[in-house]
Amino acid sequence: MSDSNELTAASATLEAKVTESRPLDTSVLNKDNESIELVSVEQWIENVDEFSKLGVGVIVKPSDDVKLLQDTLNNVTLIALDFNNFDDGRGYSQAYLISKRWKYAGEIIGINAHLDQLQFMLRSGVTSYKLLQDYEGFDELDYSNGFSICYQAAANNSGLKEKF
Amino acid sequence: MYQYSPEDTKFLVERVDQFEKQLKRHLDGDLDAAKFRSLRLRNGLYMELHAHMLRVAIPYGTLNTIQLRALADVADKYDRGFGHFTTRQNIQYNWIQLPEIANLLRDLSSVGLHAIQTSGKATRNITADPLSGLTEGEIADARPYCELIRRWLNLHPEFSWLPGKFKIAINGAKLDETALRVHDLGLRLVRNKEGELGFTVYVGGGLGAAAMVAAETASFVPVEDILSYLESAMRIYNLKGRRDHLKKLRIKFLVRQLGAEEYSRLVDEDWKQTRDDLELKLNLTQLSELEKDFALPIKPLVLDGFVDKVDFNYSIWKKNNVRAHKISGHSIVNISLTKLGEAPGDATSEQMRILADLADQYSYSELRTTKRQTIVFPHVRKDQVFDLWKSLEKYGLASPHQGTLAQIVACPGGDYCDLAKAVSIPIATRVQQRFNDMDKLLDIGNLNINISGCENSCAHHHVADIGLLGMQKNGEEYYQITVAGETLQKTVIGKKLGPSVSGDNVVDAVEDIVNVYLDNREEEEKFTEVFKRIGIKPFKEKVYE
Repeated sequence: MSDSNELTAASATLEAKVTESRPLDTSVLNKDNESIELVSVEQWIENVDEFSKLGVGVIVKPSDDVKLLQDTLNNVTLIALDFNNFDDGRGYSQAYLISKRWKYAGEIIGINAHLDQLQFMLRSGVTSYKLLQDYEGFDELDYSNGFSICYQAAANNSGLKEKF
Repeated sequence: MYQYSPEDTKFLVERVDQFEKQLKRHLDGDLDAAKFRSLRLRNGLYMELHAHMLRVAIPYGTLNTIQLRALADVADKYDRGFGHFTTRQNIQYNWIQLPEIANLLRDLSSVGLHAIQTSGKATRNITADPLSGLTEGEIADARPYCELIRRWLNLHPEFSWLPGKFKIAINGAKLDETALRVHDLGLRLVRNKEGELGFTVYVGGGLGAAAMVAAETASFVPVEDILSYLESAMRIYNLKGRRDHLKKLRIKFLVRQLGAEEYSRLVDEDWKQTRDDLELKLNLTQLSELEKDFALPIKPLVLDGFVDKVDFNYSIWKKNNVRAHKISGHSIVNISLTKLGEAPGDATSEQMRILADLADQYSYSELRTTKRQTIVFPHVRKDQVFDLWKSLEKYGLASPHQGTLAQIVACPGGDYCDLAKAVSIPIATRVQQRFNDMDKLLDIGNLNINISGCENSCAHHHVADIGLLGMQKNGEEYYQITVAGETLQKTVIGKKLGPSVSGDNVVDAVEDIVNVYLDNREEEEKFTEVFKRIGIKPFKEKVYE
């Protein structure tokens, strides 16, 4: 049924994941094209007062516990969720918590994003995105808005007929 | 019978259109193999050595004859004339060529079938009791709930990229034909003291190398709150499940690591915040519409003066394959496509069309698929069972061995599968040859033997009366024996009997175990009942003496 090719391919993907140690992005262009400096969740927690005044954004990795941000969320200028790792779906739950549950009013940008996951990101609560370079030249609408109907409540169902 | 609305069908086509674009990007070199793998798996497509395998969902195991004919057409048009019914209410095709996949999926969407989320790290096809709606004492037909939860999980924005695959089963009947406590998440329909309908929830079950029985995480979740509970249960898994170790991705490892109590506490804490969210309440209007769509197509029948035919082979077949239907005047008929010595579950397109014709004639155009890889005709008039049997016999589909020990569940094993450590089907054949006496088979009665060729446990050997697991020892094939696994009344993982047994000796060992059962059986006792009464020792002594 399952076969060793699939297993080998899966191992390779996993290995790539574990050995990956990318430096985090240090800034991002927001939806108004302004450059926003990014700090890590740990840095933010340690220097909330200072960073609140500076108007910095927070970059959230999949392994970060977003609950640490809950109390000071409204002081954050922008939240950048890192979707670089294609198979790591924690960012979608992070987006849901920040957007829908804690009602963060600022911009939630999905960075290092993948074309094929736009529909999931945007519906989970991400409000803007920056695709990885590989995806230039493809029609983003095919992947951000390729369906006419949706079957569940989400942070953002605009443009979709809701059936639930 | 329930059918997709035009807007549901449109959704299926939109999904195919999107996948076709992804496939084109991959073939053009614009989408790498690892990402395409994640995407194609979520569309049911596996890569094998010479072709692709496609897994098509048969939601809650219910098919109409139009759909079965479409599956036969797919087998002819895109495969080599057959399909394989799996243990989890899917059908698989093994010889699919990549460029044809979009047309194949479009053909299926026109009859309301699809391959969405039948593979990959997402929520898989939801399985239900294949006899849903048919048996006495059932709390409720599970299928309307399966359909609502299936819809809700369709491209769910938050839960489409989980740590591992996620299998859900729902049962509303007295006996558990779904084995729900060896699923990632199992839902049992129950009524509370006030008579209200809800679910008992079990999380973290599974077979494989670390077989586990799922823990009860909630004793009663009201029906209307089930989506918010599921959302919390899956959110905790999505955020905390292990993603760093290929063999520890499933939720059972998270539940074991945290402890069931701590996992449940985290779920409850999250659930508190969404329980009253109106958007997450199960839509009771849609539920009642679905209940109408799934209502049985038959009414009670009074068959005055009906006396069934007397025929030796018919009686034997009937004893093992025909069950009482809760609506008087009707029967439930079980059909195995498998001849002795062949891989269970394989069906030719011709067999599919024969079954479709017979189901039109005898079963109100409806069929069900089971985890024993058989086909069920759910509503057959009692006075037509004999005629149906005659037809089945004509097409070689009514072997009297069905329902006896000789109907063994076996994975493809070392003859066909790259992962297998040992063969399965040849062992099954040798067991069948050993027990070739019909009188003895009838005397033994319903005793399950399941044979898996490796610890992936595709044949579910842990939950059989006698389970065999293939392994390698010094380059030779050995089998570990487990006994007295069960799922119907309660879920028990079979006990290891002792050291593994060589391929040469394994059939003797099976015979020894069966003989200890027969020697100790009182009246109609089942294998597991005898085992509970006398313990493992007599079996051990006999096999290893």
